Amino acid sequence: MGSLYSEHLTWLHRWSAGVKLWSMALLGSGIFWVDGLVPLAVAAVFCWGLLCSIWQAMRAMRGLLTSLALAALLVAGFHALWGHWEVGVTSALRLACAACLGMALTVTTRSSDLIDVLEQLLRPAQWLGLHPERISVQLALMLRFTEHFFVQWNKLDQTYRLRTGQSGGRHLLAPLIVQLLQTSRRVADALFLRLGP
Amino acid sequence: MNYTINRNESHSFTLVALFAALMAVMGLIPKIDLPFGVPITLQSLATMLAGCLLGARRGFQSVALFLLAVAVGLPLLAGGRGGIGVFMSPSAGYLLGYPVAALVAGMVMRVLPRATAWQTGVSAFVASVVGGVFVLHMMGIAGLVLVANMDIMKAVWVDLAFVPGDLVKCVLCGLIVHTVSKAMPDWRFGGH
Repeated sequence: MGSLYSEHLTWLHRWSAGVKLWSMALLGSGIFWVDGLVPLAVAAVFCWGLLCSIWQAMRAMRGLLTSLALAALLVAGFHALWGHWEVGVTSALRLACAACLGMALTVTTRSSDLIDVLEQLLRPAQWLGLHPERISVQLALMLRFTEHFFVQWNKLDQTYRLRTGQSGGRHLLAPLIVQLLQTSRRVADALFLRLGP
Repeated sequence: MNYTINRNESHSFTLVALFAALMAVMGLIPKIDLPFGVPITLQSLATMLAGCLLGARRGFQSVALFLLAVAVGLPLLAGGRGGIGVFMSPSAGYLLGYPVAALVAGMVMRVLPRATAWQTGVSAFVASVVGGVFVLHMMGIAGLVLVANMDIMKAVWVDLAFVPGDLVKCVLCGLIVHTVSKAMPDWRFGGH
């Protein structure tokens, strides 16, 4: 499964995942803390400038950018409809800024680097008996089986189509879930054999 | 990996990962048309199913794992959306409400009767209504109020548009759980 990370290198790719994550957290908090149209308009110009500076890497995100613009317009329009246009513009700007920061982080940081940062952040939780390293194993397992179950869904759909001439739709959900639960038992047994005491 | 796991842990570990995979698959499946031509997307249905089939704790974990994968940049939400940016949109409350919805649905499922397949299906319907509709929409409304700065009554009106579709998903969840209950009578619904 592909990620939204862009291989088209930009200046932001050179920053470490941890620095970007912390910067985004700080700037994002700042955007929600700041009030007033002017400071938020300045923040919006900054965020738009940031996206423009990495525009080549934004190819996979352009659809999301369009839906973000639509959502911001809807929020602004909704407030304007009730006669609070200033609140609408403020909310739309805040929303757009925060989402732009998130997109910039996503397209310039590998998922594996973000998971590494997350594991480091969760390391203190080991004292509570949690295993942060299990997260990456579970993510790997999840991605492996996403493909598997998608293939299963398509097989079920084709079989249903052959029998009835129509797409399976909702009729395939229960068989897919039964297959998932049966598969989980087999995978759990295999995992126990590999990692059991 | 330098740790060992027992059989129960391996079962939970796998179920959590595989159900997160199911949520991802439900984002890849095109919208499903119900009778009368009503189209629905399936990821919120997967949240209800996670609570009813896996129980509160594992349901919560599997949905949280799925959201983590989304947050680190995998395009797993319906329409190929992903990344941290989606958690800053007006729908952020709904997204963050998914694991809570699964948790509550699992808790409700745990206390409801499951002696027969029909009872299990009806219990799943009730658990889905409580977790997947009531709790999820409360979180969604909170998100609209906090992120989109709406006042609460306006947010409720916006939210109400999605309730009928989600109630249909609750019926679907009940039917699926009923079928699973007949196909796998030894399955421990609600994490029992």
